[in-house]
Amino acid sequence: MIGPIADLGAGVLSKLVRMGEALLMLLQAIAVKPKTSSLPRLIQQLYVVGVQSLIIMLVSALFIGMVLGLQGYTLLAAYGSEQAVGQMVALTLVRELSPVVAALLFAGRAGSALTAEIGLMKATEQLSSLEMFGIDPLHRIIAPRFWAGIISLPLLVAIFSLVGIYGGHLVAVDWLGVHSGSYWGNMQQAVDFNEDVLNGMIKALVFAFLISWTALYQGYSCVPTSQGISAATTRTVVYSSLAILGFDFILTALMFGGAV
Amino acid sequence: MATDDIINIQNVSFYRGDRAIFKNLNCTIETGKITAIMGPSGSGKTTLLRLIGGLLQPDEGRILLFGQDIAQLNRKQLNQLRARMGVLFQSGALFTDLSVFENVAFPLREHMNLSADDLYNRVLLKLEAVGLRGTRDLMPSQLSGGMARRVALARAVAMEPELILYDEPFAGQDPIAMAVLQRLIKHLNVQMHLTSVLVSHDIAEACAISDQVILLGDGRVLAQDSPAALQASDDPAVKQFIHGEADGVIPFHFPAPPLQQELRGQSE
Repeated sequence: MIGPIADLGAGVLSKLVRMGEALLMLLQAIAVKPKTSSLPRLIQQLYVVGVQSLIIMLVSALFIGMVLGLQGYTLLAAYGSEQAVGQMVALTLVRELSPVVAALLFAGRAGSALTAEIGLMKATEQLSSLEMFGIDPLHRIIAPRFWAGIISLPLLVAIFSLVGIYGGHLVAVDWLGVHSGSYWGNMQQAVDFNEDVLNGMIKALVFAFLISWTALYQGYSCVPTSQGISAATTRTVVYSSLAILGFDFILTALMFGGAV
Repeated sequence: MATDDIINIQNVSFYRGDRAIFKNLNCTIETGKITAIMGPSGSGKTTLLRLIGGLLQPDEGRILLFGQDIAQLNRKQLNQLRARMGVLFQSGALFTDLSVFENVAFPLREHMNLSADDLYNRVLLKLEAVGLRGTRDLMPSQLSGGMARRVALARAVAMEPELILYDEPFAGQDPIAMAVLQRLIKHLNVQMHLTSVLVSHDIAEACAISDQVILLGDGRVLAQDSPAALQASDDPAVKQFIHGEADGVIPFHFPAPPLQQELRGQSE
């Protein structure tokens, strides 16, 4: 009778312990005074995490913008208001699709790579080796990767929106013949910087935090075998994707829920 | 307490979950000697090495390193102690994003303020000592297993430590690489006045170069003696391990109920 309840309790407790560990890891890694000597490592990670994710972001953003332009045009043309397609594309991207899709791609592209890299460093004893040289792997390995994630994702989201809007322009204006002036004009009128752009950026920042934290903790705490690393990499993608979608709803409710 | 013991392990117990890896382990390692820690797989050899390096903490007892209890040290003091020892990990543990030269230079850049020329010369001399000066511009992924281990050895001695710990230096090496590593361990011990501790289950290779052998089994020290004395030992457990017998005090079978009970359709 009591068995399943006890199992549930033990399961919840072990999850709580893991979350506590994850929080401690993060605090130990980032609660240090920044040093100028660690700047090159941050720049290198910005390149790996950010610049190398650029291609997948650009291509996805272009196609998503084009789909939005096409769908928006067909829908709006039925009511004779196809000139509003610009504001539809821009608002959809800036408020929702850019942060969410870019974050999901980032979790798959950069998050999984971070977990696998750190897991392999653990398996090949590189982390122990650093420790024996008197260097804290949390400061040397975890911290620059964490900050690189926090800095890159919001920038990638901004680029995503920009390219997506041009993608929408390509279909709606250049192909389907919406007037270019009304595409941009309606967009300028409808999109508010604080309400839409800034809120989208806040989402990006929250997602960046969730992905980096999940990916780094999964790598740092994984069982250092090939199975352990593959399981940790899967967990990174699954957990961060779920966290992104869950938090997106909460954030949307907080930001736009009252405006109706 | 004898002052010429560089490592002194006193009543150490260490648990993984409920399983005791060590129970009341006592042993000492003498300065200037090559000591081999041997024992069957799973007897905790590597764990002992990690305890000595301060990477793990014992649950009971204490470990004195250079006469200091490592559990009592703060992080900075522990790191100062670590600067006096080098570790050769089983996998070599070279940093995969740095070249051979930068790997050997790594501890020097972190801990010493050398001029560019001094650093360059020192790294080159260390690589020369392991016979791999020619590989300085290669990346670790371009090295064979034996070469990677030699580069890791050059890196471990780059800071000119007093103590060096080798984790399974011979595992998975071909006969030539094994002979090279044996020669290097012996040479470095004499040339640099090191104390060497090597963990191994390659009996012949380890016995050939060590002055003293500590045989672990069952969470305790089964024997601590010179290789020759161990070869001649009458202790059944020592004999079984040293002469590589499949069955004996350390059983061939993993503990299980009697076979008759486990076979189906046999109990009636």
